[in-house]
Amino acid sequence: MRKELKEYPFDWMLWRTFAAATRMKAGSEKEYRHALNQLPYFRGILDTIYGIGEPGRLFIEMIAEYFEKIIHAREREQKTAITTFCFSPAVFYALDIVPITLELVTVAMGATYKRGTADFLDYCNEVGFTETSCSSQRGTLGAYLAGNGVTIDMVVCDSPGVCDTNVNAFAFASAYLDKPFFQLNMPPDLTGERSTEYHRADYRALIAFLEEQTGRKLDTGKLRGIMEEVSRQDLLMTELEELQLLVPNPLPVTFNLLIYAGRFLFAGMPQCTRLLESMLKIGRENAASNQSGLSGGKESLRGFFCYIDHYGQNFRLWELLDRMEISYHGNILSKMWSQDAHYVKVLDRREEGYAIDTTDLDTLIDSIADLNSRMPMIKSIRGPYDAPHMWLQDTLALAKLHKADFIVYNGTPGCRNTWGMVKPFARDTEKNGFPTLILYSDAFDMRVESWETTASRIEEFLKVRRLRT
Amino acid sequence: MMDTFHESSTTLFNRHVQDWKTGGGHVVGYTCSYVPDEIFHAGGILPYRLRGIEAKEMNIGDAYFGPFICSLPKCLLQLAGEGKYHFLDGVIVTPGCDSMRRLDDCWQKAGEDRAEALPSFFFHYAVPHKTADYSIKWFIEETQRLKDAVEKHFSVTISEDQLHEAIAIYNEGRLFLSRLDALRCATDVAISGADALAVVLASTTIPRKAFNDLLKDLITELEAVKNPIRGRKRLMLVGSANDDVELVRLIEGDEAVVVADNLCFGARFYADLVEVEGDPIAALAKRYLFHNDCPRMFGDYKGRLNILQEKIERAAVDGVILQNIRFCDLHGSENGIFERDLEAAGIPCIRIEREYGPLVETGRIRMRIDAFLERLEK
Repeated sequence: MRKELKEYPFDWMLWRTFAAATRMKAGSEKEYRHALNQLPYFRGILDTIYGIGEPGRLFIEMIAEYFEKIIHAREREQKTAITTFCFSPAVFYALDIVPITLELVTVAMGATYKRGTADFLDYCNEVGFTETSCSSQRGTLGAYLAGNGVTIDMVVCDSPGVCDTNVNAFAFASAYLDKPFFQLNMPPDLTGERSTEYHRADYRALIAFLEEQTGRKLDTGKLRGIMEEVSRQDLLMTELEELQLLVPNPLPVTFNLLIYAGRFLFAGMPQCTRLLESMLKIGRENAASNQSGLSGGKESLRGFFCYIDHYGQNFRLWELLDRMEISYHGNILSKMWSQDAHYVKVLDRREEGYAIDTTDLDTLIDSIADLNSRMPMIKSIRGPYDAPHMWLQDTLALAKLHKADFIVYNGTPGCRNTWGMVKPFARDTEKNGFPTLILYSDAFDMRVESWETTASRIEEFLKVRRLRT
Repeated sequence: MMDTFHESSTTLFNRHVQDWKTGGGHVVGYTCSYVPDEIFHAGGILPYRLRGIEAKEMNIGDAYFGPFICSLPKCLLQLAGEGKYHFLDGVIVTPGCDSMRRLDDCWQKAGEDRAEALPSFFFHYAVPHKTADYSIKWFIEETQRLKDAVEKHFSVTISEDQLHEAIAIYNEGRLFLSRLDALRCATDVAISGADALAVVLASTTIPRKAFNDLLKDLITELEAVKNPIRGRKRLMLVGSANDDVELVRLIEGDEAVVVADNLCFGARFYADLVEVEGDPIAALAKRYLFHNDCPRMFGDYKGRLNILQEKIERAAVDGVILQNIRFCDLHGSENGIFERDLEAAGIPCIRIEREYGPLVETGRIRMRIDAFLERLEK
């Protein structure tokens, strides 16, 4: 690893970067434009996000606050837990634990550093972690393995049974750093008494583990407040999802990212609620005037990403979609499967959704266990891909509901799980009438395939399939 | 004597399986050492651990799997697609790892294109990744579900007595294999690592009673051996699944002998006995969930390190080969920490990444092993 990277803790650097970014709009527009010139690798994303107005400002503030909490956890006598994006952080907030979600930090670093997370990705390999592992965890994990961040107190994940490479990163971190480890283990079926019972027993064991690590008891009142906030957020997301169904889609392309990032960072916390409310305001205004959320005001195509997005430097995926007049209809990350969700009701799939019952501690724990077992990826990529409630059914139903013109698979080469089945999956989506593109890029590591190559493959696909001239 | 073991370990449709089929018996293949053979044995079915040997091409495997996938399940699919597993009446797939888990999807999808590739009995056996009390409960239910499905599909009844009898026979085999292990790691090594692997592999294809008889005779022969293997570097082989006798032969060459392993086609396969008292389904579930030191049981690194250290000491190992098949991140990553911790304890290690298959990288591996042996001489 380059020596200069060890000069400052990487998470402190990210905090200062985003904290500075929150002040970018404090001055005049001229000052803002001038300041952008000083940020050659960050200005694209910053300008894009600020360009969407208040939600953009809230989003930047939210990220800065997230890092601020990480940096100051120790002096506030809070424990830190490294965890994963598909794990609802609500329980951490209920127990006053500061979550450090590796994939989110990787995205933040990829967005701000010239070389993305390359140095930290490679550092993982230097200390024995395989280069074929998923880059989404590796990017941040490398920094912590190198001792270049805050002290980690525990490692918590929920991907056993869902994604080997995900959980393997956490198991490796626990063994390498000699930190306590807890895994939520998912059975192959989502629903049914046996799986529900397993989810809930496992979650109770998690709470016991967290209580042991923190020396605190789970506070029913605090958990109730957080889960009530999650309920509010679910309703806000439901309305945003409903707006997305309109033709034209009134939501800007970046909103999808903001929806899931907000939920992953601050589920059950007011920061996420404020962001969603702000986005909804814009969505409603655009919908009232039948206005497309695309910057050019015209929607030519509607795209559905069946897996994750591409987080290459400056988030150029969103710029590409916007420029090509493609309305963006989400991916598996933005679907939370609350029973309140519009798609759950419309598709008549209540059994697959979770409900929040705040009656007492038991119902609260059952609710959060059910919620967690329906987190993105955890829900739909656990069993056979074409089993009920799984990836194929979800993708086809959502793509149809959103009137998508095409489907894109984008992930990382480290994703053993989806690469193990994406060919048959794409064959089935094609059979169902959706032109489907499989991208071979790495969403978090531009060295695998340059963004220019990825972009040209998307454009070529749309041209060859006569979706766009 | 060794010829029988070698024939059974290097030929998919070997003589014993042929005889079994000729006698009208059913054969059920499985992908992972977490599947209890005893269930099938008790039902009069031959359990057969699936292997990718004899795969010469990958066109069928690549048609269904993506590019970033371990070559072992691809080879299995290739063989199934080519009809080389024509003798199977059923298949059990487990979530041993993601690549192997997706063999379930890809094999069934291949069956839509090539009906003959898909046996009529196809079962997903959901093995948990932890050993909490509720995981045991799940696995007992899952094992009962497997038993019920086998009974229904093959029109057999598997009684408790039959299960107890099967448990006794398999436990006997495990004890014989442990005796073989002791001969292998003794100061005077009685059997090469390649031959020992051939024996273990044979145990996954030969009907267990016949296997036990063969192994008993072999042990008697080995215990009387006059020419033990001496003067070679004593190695231990750790990591991804290896069912290729030739890989061990390549590692051993003229200067080394593999005296111990911690492989799922090796010592991990026969470690620990099934309890003979009580409910046999519960006993099987407990043994199979607890016994196996695979990194798929996330979070138990220290337990696995202790097992390695104990074996290294017992077998007076000079050096450890930590190998993984490319894209096997579970073993590959754990090997990285094993290397750190074992080297710190003064035990020389080498990490090798390889492809699964019939010695596709002979020269490279030989060269690296030679360099490692040179290091051990210093």
